[in-house]
Amino acid sequence: MNRSILVCCGTGCIANGSLAVADALRVALAGTDVAVEATGETEVKETGCNGFCENGPILRVMPDDISYYKVKPEDAADIAASIGAEPLERLLYRDDNDKPVLRQADNPFYAPQHKIVLRNIGQIDPQSIADYTDCGGYRALERALQMTPEAIISEVEASGLRGRGGAGYPTGSKWRAAMQYGEYPKYVICNGDEGDPGAFMDRSTLEGDPHCVLEGMAICALAIGAQEGFLYIRDEYELALKHVTKAIRDAEEAGILGDSIMGSGKKLRLAAVRGGGAFVCGESTALMASIEGRVGEPRAKYVRSAQRGLWDKPTVLNNVETFANIPVIIGGGGENFALLGTDSSKGTKVFALVGKVKRTGLVEVPMGVTLRRLIFDIGGGIVGDRPFKAVQTGGPSGGCIPEKLLDLPVDFDTLTDYGAMMGSGGMIVMDDRSCMVEVARYYTNFLAEESCGKCAPCREGLRQMLSILTGICEGRGLPGDLEALEEICALLIDSSLCALGKTAANPVLTTIEHFRDEYNAHILEKRCPGGVCRELTGSKKDGTGVTSSKAGKGDLRV
Amino acid sequence: MIVTIDGKEVSCERGEYLLDIATRAGIRIASLCHHEGLQGQGCCRLCTVEVETGRGDTGRGEGAQSGSFSDKKPRREIVAACIYPVEAECVVYTDSERVRRNRGILLALLRASAPASEEIAELCREFGAPDGARYEVQSGDGKCILCGLCAKACQTLGTGAISSVGRGTAKKISTPYDEPATVCVGCGSCAAVCPTGAIEVAEDGDERTIWNKTLTLTRCSRCGAVTGTAFEHYRASVHAGTEPPDLCPDCRRKAMTDTMAKTFGV
Repeated sequence: MNRSILVCCGTGCIANGSLAVADALRVALAGTDVAVEATGETEVKETGCNGFCENGPILRVMPDDISYYKVKPEDAADIAASIGAEPLERLLYRDDNDKPVLRQADNPFYAPQHKIVLRNIGQIDPQSIADYTDCGGYRALERALQMTPEAIISEVEASGLRGRGGAGYPTGSKWRAAMQYGEYPKYVICNGDEGDPGAFMDRSTLEGDPHCVLEGMAICALAIGAQEGFLYIRDEYELALKHVTKAIRDAEEAGILGDSIMGSGKKLRLAAVRGGGAFVCGESTALMASIEGRVGEPRAKYVRSAQRGLWDKPTVLNNVETFANIPVIIGGGGENFALLGTDSSKGTKVFALVGKVKRTGLVEVPMGVTLRRLIFDIGGGIVGDRPFKAVQTGGPSGGCIPEKLLDLPVDFDTLTDYGAMMGSGGMIVMDDRSCMVEVARYYTNFLAEESCGKCAPCREGLRQMLSILTGICEGRGLPGDLEALEEICALLIDSSLCALGKTAANPVLTTIEHFRDEYNAHILEKRCPGGVCRELTGSKKDGTGVTSSKAGKGDLRV
Repeated sequence: MIVTIDGKEVSCERGEYLLDIATRAGIRIASLCHHEGLQGQGCCRLCTVEVETGRGDTGRGEGAQSGSFSDKKPRREIVAACIYPVEAECVVYTDSERVRRNRGILLALLRASAPASEEIAELCREFGAPDGARYEVQSGDGKCILCGLCAKACQTLGTGAISSVGRGTAKKISTPYDEPATVCVGCGSCAAVCPTGAIEVAEDGDERTIWNKTLTLTRCSRCGAVTGTAFEHYRASVHAGTEPPDLCPDCRRKAMTDTMAKTFGV
């Protein structure tokens, strides 16, 4: 039996030394030639991110389906010797009952997951186009070439797919709008700027399965009539950029993209663009300005990008995760896709589950899963079994959700109803030693720095919100501060130019709503219940107080 | 088509900006970053008004029939009048409770940021902005509200000596590296379009200092009025082939009149 050892070489595992593990394995396997007759050939394959980064480097022996975690180069010889023999127990994952887990599907972190977007990641070599086509890649594009633009868009509409970048705009409607404008050239853009602190699903997708994003973009281009497209990739995403650039080149050389898509005569040129290093460039109109070579500032969207986008031409911009869903929808049918999820949110969502949970990482679950299941089943509960306090969803545009709302189903509309947001899928779990005022201050500080500064409500509003919140954290809070904050928040929601400003109030408003007691303790009693705010813990003068963190001002102390 | 602004019916063309329509009808919508020669800034947000679209009972004219909201419930939203193109018949409120509240807070925020600006102080009085007692007032003689009109004027005139620098609360308008810009011709257009008088232009004898750069002034040979800077006229002569003016516009007109009078013997 021929085997492959899949070594996770996502950014997280590489940082943990997985490239050295892969090399050591190749050396070790070369030394066991005698066993080939009995065990067959074994190849070492470097794959994308498995999502369980904290236990990396992760390695998976297929088809036996044995997963090893926290593997070191020194383990290579033992692993090579174990092929076809007894699994190496010391490298297996141990579940909550300390029982070793052999198969990935039995691992409590993976068991409840349902992978659509991440379907290939961790199983294929992202730098190999053959690996992608071997598992059905580019077959949806082939199918789309036989369909009319109308049929493609109807299929996407039937799937109920909504934009995964945060706003949840129906993808089919967006495409239809762009299709209807008869102005050319048109453009298709993939937003891979992913700036939310803690979120890394787009990075993992671009790194681990770049062809699937290209395929989604190509299908979109066929539907709207675009011949040119861009992938805007966050500047820090070195590996993603490398893999995407190679994928574009390989697809063009294979005749899948380029001057004639699979020999159809239809043209699509894609190019990767490095981001400008600003959070606000993830906003669609700022992103387009950045591609055009202008300062990354948003414009008003009274005229939508589907009509006048990049270089004032009809443009469809979707997020990485959105495009990654497209091949599945066209390949398997929109109605099939719509079977999964809730009434208004179909399919799955990838979350970056981080913070004070026992198991952190990238998880993909059907829409409508409860926060409790995410945090306590997949995440395994709070580190040290401390009390849960809040989960921050949706990054700086999102909000904090308290314990009493943990049974909420996670989809686009439910979280928005409660002032939070699914956003791009960041999920930061906090225990009782977190300070919610400090969390609000952290995000406000982040936004005050990362706002483009163009419109007055966002720039000046955030400046004053930060000043008031810093005052509260440092013991200078006054009665009336909360009302002052709420007034500014109302202005931001109403008057800001773009979604960054319109949602910038969420962290503050949700913490005031759900954790007003904590604000009052800071303001009225000069006390920080979480023990985080240095000036309010009694530590600053005599050094006897307890501060929970040595983190600097810029870090989120959760 | 017809839009109703504060109860007054005003006719307009489809796609016209709401602020232009209101101004034409004599309805005041306060604004700072709007300049008729440099449209589309949309960043001071002072001109935000409330717009109600998709009302069934405004069903007259082609706008209402083809409006995409006509079959939906009326929708009230806050928009920036200077960049909001009117695409369908709508009802506009420039002084609703919500508009007043937003405008007041915004002005109080701007006052804290540009405490030395008399224009902002005057607007605060006019619209009864709250005191903003909890706001941290920026120190110094700040007048700039970062509307960007100066940079846009400079860019539009082909010079591009100033631009916005940085982002977020650290954003400012400046020359490259805060040094005197080699390309600045000292024309003073930036200062002319500034709504809050934030750009300092000092003239002393035959010199003008602007953006840390000192330039030599040229004067009208007849009346002595300033006609610009020598560098400005030099750049114009290089790019457009024009002769440096000898007279100021007033004197040139006068000279022309004199010539006419002589010619026709009036």
